[in-house]
Amino acid sequence: MSLFQICQVIQESEIGTAIRESTWVFPIIETIHVLGAALSVGLILCLDLRLTGLGMGRIPAAQLMHRLKPWYLTGFAVMMLSGALLFWSEAAKLYDSFTFRMKVLFLVLAGLNALIFEIVYTRRIAGFETEGTPAGATVVGWCSLAFWAAVIGFGRWTAYGLS
Amino acid sequence: MDLLAAFTWCENTWLGQMIRDSTWAFAAIEVVHLLGLTVLLGTVTVVNLRLAGIGLREQSASDVAADAMPWTYGGMAATILSGSGLFVSEALKCYDSPPFYWKMGLLAVSLVFTFAIQRRMANGNAPDFSPGVGKVLASMTIALWFGVGLAGRAIAFY
Repeated sequence: MSLFQICQVIQESEIGTAIRESTWVFPIIETIHVLGAALSVGLILCLDLRLTGLGMGRIPAAQLMHRLKPWYLTGFAVMMLSGALLFWSEAAKLYDSFTFRMKVLFLVLAGLNALIFEIVYTRRIAGFETEGTPAGATVVGWCSLAFWAAVIGFGRWTAYGLS
Repeated sequence: MDLLAAFTWCENTWLGQMIRDSTWAFAAIEVVHLLGLTVLLGTVTVVNLRLAGIGLREQSASDVAADAMPWTYGGMAATILSGSGLFVSEALKCYDSPPFYWKMGLLAVSLVFTFAIQRRMANGNAPDFSPGVGKVLASMTIALWFGVGLAGRAIAFY
């Protein structure tokens, strides 16, 4: 079975059809999706501003990372769960969408970027105050800003492509 | 001039017509609107979590606010400017849309909370709120801004 056929099966499933055909369920899930993304990306942005030196200079990077983590992970979970439900309802349509593919690509890049930060810099983040932010961590911050902006841009554009 | 006449005037402006006639302008402006909203909601959340005594609690509220507020204002400016463009391109649709009025009302209250209450609390020269009252006000500010986002998204639906 090809990926496209799998997408068709998902879209035509009982739950996918129910979400797609309901008057209110799809808009409600989509609104939750947008607000979850805004919470998650908006808080990640605060850490990125610190890493890049653009802002948040009074607050240690370690504080931003540890204290905001539960909140941006919650926003991320809300975004991914609601996004999965939206995908469920129009998987075959999204398979053909260039902007959706770009969005997923940038989401994966943002994830890998965060993974690199987690593996390389998390244990050293307390030292950023005394030793300065390492150049690599600054690059991670810039990449995060760019990747998440692309996720939001292509995400919004995906909805236009479908309508 | 009544409200309908004012909205009609907006709809007929050069800018409104240009955005309506363009294939990509509306979508492009809405992406800016959404990015601005993300910056706004993220930084409002950081400051008000702190005011509620959670989140960045090792830092003083005034430090968190001083760092976050320029970005809150920047996000607000981007959201309001792009939102004005979206509005003039479909002012008559907004005239008939209940969520539009909810959104503008919530926006007005959110701005009052942000400028009159949050800013003073963050500067430390607040009327002395008890911690309980401060928590409630901070939670309300976060909820209000997310309410603006929710009502705003709903304009597209009805």
